[in-house]
Amino acid sequence: MTRPTSDDSSVLLVHAYLDGELDPANALGITQQMDTVPALAAEAERIKALQQLIRERLPREETPPGLRARIETSVGGLRRERPRPSWRALAASIALTAMVTGTSTWFIAGSQQPTMVADSLVSDHIRALMAPEPVDVVSSDRHTVKPWFNGRIPNSPRVVDLARENFPLIGGRVDVLGQTPVSTLVYRHAKHLISLTAVPAEGGFKLDRSPRSINGYNVVHWVENGVSYWAISDLEAKELEDFARLFRTSQTEL
Amino acid sequence: MIGVGVMSVTYMQARTGPTKSESATMRLVASGAQDPMSGLDDNARFRSIVMPYIDEAYRLAHWLTGNRTDAEDVVQDASLRAFRAIREFAGGNARAWLLSIVRNTAYSWLRKNRPTTVLTVEDIEAVELANAKPGDPTGETPEAALIAKVDAGQLRAAIAALPTPFRETLVLRDIEGLDYREIAEATDVPIGTVMSRLARARRRLIATLKEDR
Repeated sequence: MTRPTSDDSSVLLVHAYLDGELDPANALGITQQMDTVPALAAEAERIKALQQLIRERLPREETPPGLRARIETSVGGLRRERPRPSWRALAASIALTAMVTGTSTWFIAGSQQPTMVADSLVSDHIRALMAPEPVDVVSSDRHTVKPWFNGRIPNSPRVVDLARENFPLIGGRVDVLGQTPVSTLVYRHAKHLISLTAVPAEGGFKLDRSPRSINGYNVVHWVENGVSYWAISDLEAKELEDFARLFRTSQTEL
Repeated sequence: MIGVGVMSVTYMQARTGPTKSESATMRLVASGAQDPMSGLDDNARFRSIVMPYIDEAYRLAHWLTGNRTDAEDVVQDASLRAFRAIREFAGGNARAWLLSIVRNTAYSWLRKNRPTTVLTVEDIEAVELANAKPGDPTGETPEAALIAKVDAGQLRAAIAALPTPFRETLVLRDIEGLDYREIAEATDVPIGTVMSRLARARRRLIATLKEDR
């Protein structure tokens, strides 16, 4: 048996599949090829072993203490060398005021009104169901889904594996609440999808004010470690609560 | 290299744009929204765009220069470049933007201080092509088990020995967790090139680790 060269597009697709870069149609195509072509299956095993090795055994280089402070000092120094004309500062402050009073009002208000947050997230859930795919990253592997959020949003979410409890992970997407991008994980239960959104809980949401259902979609909400979680699905309320409980109590962390 | 046609069906569009984010509720406020940071001064922008990614910047610089002192110099220099260019950052992926500046700074540094170590990509790919051995018969040996026995020192040395374009691609994907689009942005190449470099980097790395056993 000969090993395909690294220029072989099937090989590149195996790598892309394991990196969570393929849409479901292409992912299905390449997994079927992996089932029938042993060299591709072997390639996949090697890549997984290598990724696991890097993840588990390679220590991360620590940023030297003081580097951040030195950077901030040198950048602050630059600013003092080039003071801005005062009209720019004034313009900036007007722009900032306009931004705060204009564009952010909804979200600030929203953080005190769980109903509006829930409304918006139910809309996102419905839109996702109607889109070609409900997720932007397709993967059942939390080691793929969690890093995908890095760089897209400031804090990547807690991702747990609930496949054994019959809530397999489908993938993730970024939703936007007001002006704030937030992470949404998508899990499946039987034929129902669950969108689980994590929102930094600045405003102090209150559980009891959150609606239990909107337009026939059930909503379960809880706050944990400064993060406000919203689970939305057309699942029965009890099953959705089971899901929330499993997610909360699961120990499987990245 | 993979064809552009394949990529267009393969690669998913991230749906984070306005069509995705708009809803009736949000449209009320989205009308005045452009760059949410447009009202901030340069220092505030720097703090929110650059400072969150200093750790990633430092680690990339470390993999590219090979030592702490030079990595620190590169990150400091790159930070100043980022600050001067902070108004040019028009939103999008801050991490990829900063890492591309770190990479360019590191390359300038390498060219100046270690001109012999910088091979162009064309050099490497020409050598690769000449040495290509498509017929490796070991497709089904328990290589995964062999790989699992490698220790951190061997792994680090094997990654450090990769040619720079392969090393940076592998580091950004398998250590830093960037996706292909971000790596393409950070290393200034098309996604197809990211894919082929990543496959080659992993294969080289696996081959080296097997030799070490």
